[in-house]
Amino acid sequence: MGSRASTLLREEEIEEIKKETGFSHSQITRLYSRFTSLDKGENGTLSREDFQRIPELAINPLGDRIINAFFPEGEDQVNFRGFMRTLAHFRPIEDSEKNKNPAASEPLNSRTNKLLFAFRLYDLDRDDKISRDELLQVLRMMVGVNISDEQLGSIADRTIQEADTNGDNSISFTEFIKVLEKVDVEQKMSIRFLH
Amino acid sequence: MPRKRDLSADEVGIDIHDDDSDSDDGATRRRANRRQAKGGARARKAASEDEEDEEAVAPRTRRAAKKPVKKDEEDDESEDEGPKKKKRGGATNRKKGGKSRDSEEDSDVEKGRKGKKGGGKKGGKEEEESKSKKGDAKGKDKKKKKKAESSSDSSSSSDEDEESLSEGEMALLMEEVEEKKKLIANIRNKPWRMKRRLTHLKEAQEFVDKFEGALGKGKGRKWYAYKVMMTKKWIKFQRDFENFRTACIPWERKIKEVESHFGSSVASYFIFLRWMYGMNLVLFGFTFGLVVIPEVLMGLPYGSIPRKTVPRAEQATAQDYSVLLDFNGYCKYSVLFYGYYNSQRTIGLLKFRLPLAYLMVGIGTFGYSLMVVIRTMAKNADLGGGDGEDGEFTFGWKMFTSWDYLIGNAETADNKYASITTSFKESIVDEQENQKDENIHLRRFLRVLANVLITCSLGGSGYLIYFVVKRSQDFANRDDLSWYEKNELEIIMSLLGLLCPPLFETIAELEDYHPRIALKWQLGRIFALLLGNLYTFLFALFDEVNSKLEEEQSIKNASILAMKEYYANYTRLVNDTEATPPPMSPADVIRGPCWETAVGIEFVKLTVSDIQVTYLTILIGDFARAVIVRFLNYCWCWDLEAGFPSYGEFDISGNVLGLVFNQGMIWMGAFYAPGLVGINVLRLLTSMYYQCWAVMATNVPHERVFKASKSNNFYMGLLLLILFLSLLPVVYTIMTLSPSFDCGPFSGKAKMFDVIIETIDLDLPAFIGTLFSYVANPGLIIPAVLLMVLAIYYLNSVSEAYKNSNLDLKKKMQMARDEEKNRRNNTDSTNQVMKDLEDLLPNRSLAPPAPPPEPEKTSDAKPTKTKPGTAGKGVHLQKDMSLASSNPTPRGPITQAPRPRGPAPVSGPGRGRGRGAPRK
Repeated sequence: MGSRASTLLREEEIEEIKKETGFSHSQITRLYSRFTSLDKGENGTLSREDFQRIPELAINPLGDRIINAFFPEGEDQVNFRGFMRTLAHFRPIEDSEKNKNPAASEPLNSRTNKLLFAFRLYDLDRDDKISRDELLQVLRMMVGVNISDEQLGSIADRTIQEADTNGDNSISFTEFIKVLEKVDVEQKMSIRFLH
Repeated sequence: MPRKRDLSADEVGIDIHDDDSDSDDGATRRRANRRQAKGGARARKAASEDEEDEEAVAPRTRRAAKKPVKKDEEDDESEDEGPKKKKRGGATNRKKGGKSRDSEEDSDVEKGRKGKKGGGKKGGKEEEESKSKKGDAKGKDKKKKKKAESSSDSSSSSDEDEESLSEGEMALLMEEVEEKKKLIANIRNKPWRMKRRLTHLKEAQEFVDKFEGALGKGKGRKWYAYKVMMTKKWIKFQRDFENFRTACIPWERKIKEVESHFGSSVASYFIFLRWMYGMNLVLFGFTFGLVVIPEVLMGLPYGSIPRKTVPRAEQATAQDYSVLLDFNGYCKYSVLFYGYYNSQRTIGLLKFRLPLAYLMVGIGTFGYSLMVVIRTMAKNADLGGGDGEDGEFTFGWKMFTSWDYLIGNAETADNKYASITTSFKESIVDEQENQKDENIHLRRFLRVLANVLITCSLGGSGYLIYFVVKRSQDFANRDDLSWYEKNELEIIMSLLGLLCPPLFETIAELEDYHPRIALKWQLGRIFALLLGNLYTFLFALFDEVNSKLEEEQSIKNASILAMKEYYANYTRLVNDTEATPPPMSPADVIRGPCWETAVGIEFVKLTVSDIQVTYLTILIGDFARAVIVRFLNYCWCWDLEAGFPSYGEFDISGNVLGLVFNQGMIWMGAFYAPGLVGINVLRLLTSMYYQCWAVMATNVPHERVFKASKSNNFYMGLLLLILFLSLLPVVYTIMTLSPSFDCGPFSGKAKMFDVIIETIDLDLPAFIGTLFSYVANPGLIIPAVLLMVLAIYYLNSVSEAYKNSNLDLKKKMQMARDEEKNRRNNTDSTNQVMKDLEDLLPNRSLAPPAPPPEPEKTSDAKPTKTKPGTAGKGVHLQKDMSLASSNPTPRGPITQAPRPRGPAPVSGPGRGRGRGAPRK
């Protein structure tokens, strides 16, 4: 039951994380041991290099963006709390949570928050809009040199044109939601954390 | 009870306890597991999914098992108060100790409570006071406290914390359950509509069902726990099974690899091939399991009767390689062909009715194939559309959802890059097609011309085959034939199949269709060609069969005559009426030509030559070409790779049709040559590996990459057509021609289907026979057929109507979207002068971040070019940007591994994600 890891983790901390993220006790301890195994510097925080050692992230064209999402603005270390907060976006939405009273504040793993997480990956300058340039950067990462710049540009234009409803030549978050309306984000952006 | 020590002092106790908890851990768990079997879990919510059910269930079970006991104790104690109070404190203490041992890790909540309690008890008097204060309410109060304790205990110790409830939540839930119950009771009185009532009722019932058990009330907590456990197990099992099934899909990786390099269209061929393989495997199972193997195991051995023996005249050459290659000699008299099977009604100890099984398998092959093809078609049709690929956010989706975040392998990542690139290109091509508009008259003329040309060549090939067939009939009467003359028909057919498709493709260039449509035309044309060839071949075969039938008749008469003569002589000489068969070796018996085997041999030969031609084409046309182009390029006067021969493209249409026609031949021939199915399975298996290798090693992606249509129903449609066409001749022969008198499972019967009648008469009770005669009555059949036709008509019109309404709705949605867009955009700038001005501004699409109002408007102005009336087409008209650059990257777009991407803002400087050398 991850008792080794849990001895390093204080009970109060676990309680707080539990409240904040909705993870269960054993999930937290499990993730904590993962956290410590990633933490090569053994200083209780993760750096960007630590993340880049994960092959899935190293290969991913958006890997850097994802890694960035773990770090609060202007910092290059993330502690366990922050780590868990980001991971909480990927907690599956459970049936029981769906019919809970909506009055409570939205949990981190709601559809909107999941989408917001994805949106932030594209929105580099954090102005809540995905501009043409930002799209172009992503495109270049995804297709590399195989398609000419001109074509990439028109793909980006086309993407914006499809999604843009208010005519500001960029994709706002609401427009982003609209584009991905039919995608089963709840399921696709969920990781089955072991209990 | 060492635990008492803990309770004496707040902090210390806790520390000790913490230390102990680890050692207790294992024991508790073991105990819990043991108890789990007893059930009676105090379960809560239905857990959605769980990795380790055992662990999750265990603590609950333990708690549940303990709880009732606790309650009882309390009740007892609350009754006899007063002097026993002190003792009671101790008891609680002990109990507490016992329980806390159970807990695996202590939460601070519990610590606090324990501390308080321990202190109170220590204080003695104080504690007594508090106890008495509680007075009568004690029992209840206590109980609640216990419950709270246990739940807080659980929240800290158990593994499914999010499932555990605090006291408040519990109460809330209880209340809710009560409420729902009340609702169920009163639902009749509510002033709601019936529908709403029903939904509410259903919801409430579900809720109560779900949580009543969880709260330990109502009927059967045990049952509930059991249910929860089983659901979890079931879910886990399903998941494992699903994983297992995915792992069992053969060649998934291979196909994905091909797909990533060549796009979905080439992959669709391989998926089709795989599907065919699966279907053939089932057919193979039927044929071998029910016909071939029983005959081999239980039938008479080789050489026992004439039909299972090579005739004396052929025995000298029966083992020659060239004879065997023609499927004569030993091959002809083997289990592979119809003639070998004996007409014995039952064989072996099991009384297996082989002739009946033979006929049933023959018909069942068609039945099963029809069913599978139609089911797959229906499923594919169902699948289309639901994907949201209605052209609404094609690029948006590709942009935001194309990466597979689970890829952790550099090679796969390369493939993914390639496939993303390909998919973008596919979209670009699609867009290009949409934008095209040019001289429509020229186009029409060219298309008509192309069709005329193709019709001409089709007619020509038809005539050629007819001519060859006629010639071969002449040849049949001669003996001095060269190799070419013997195999002329097969050679000509293969050559036609080889040469015509490229010709058609060249002609199709004139038409200039979108590649996807061009592919369909191409497929249709080759289909017509092959079909013509096949049917000409069939007619030739029928001629042969008829002549064989005549021959057989004469032989039959002669042999019967000889038999009679023999018996007459025999009885006259020996004066014994006992009929003893003539003392003749089975090899010497005169026998008929056995037309069924002849037909079977023709089909097997055709199939084998088809396999040879296909494989050789790949070897020469693709592999040799690729080798030459690759290595001769170093010393050649022009660039071979980019210039004339270049590398081959994968010929989707030719391959698909080859497969389809091959399957048609299998269906036709399988009845007369059971071994054909086995040959076909082998062929498909090898061609999967062979073609996968060939396509990866020697071909380049299509110049115009395009996406395969959503479902490969087109292929399936072709297959269905072929299936039907191959069904006709087989059924015709079964129903009308009389089987050979001395070979095959139906020998001695007037018609093949007499086997069924015989079975009905002999093996089934009499009333079934009469029942059949009623069912076979035309008076019943005709109305049934009529009814079916009507049903088909009705269902067809209904589906048509649904389709139309679907389309309408889709259009409406699109219109609404565009209208909204237009409305927003039009409000800003209706000023023509301003618009013209803005049009002159450079780089309009790159809206600067914070420009003065004018450039800001440029972006708005652009879409206003849409004509307001054409809202439906609005989006397309707006595409004044060209998606396709004037010089699209030539060919071989993804032969190059993606380089480290350009200077991404955040990314580490060129970490070189796209690794791996170009695969060639």
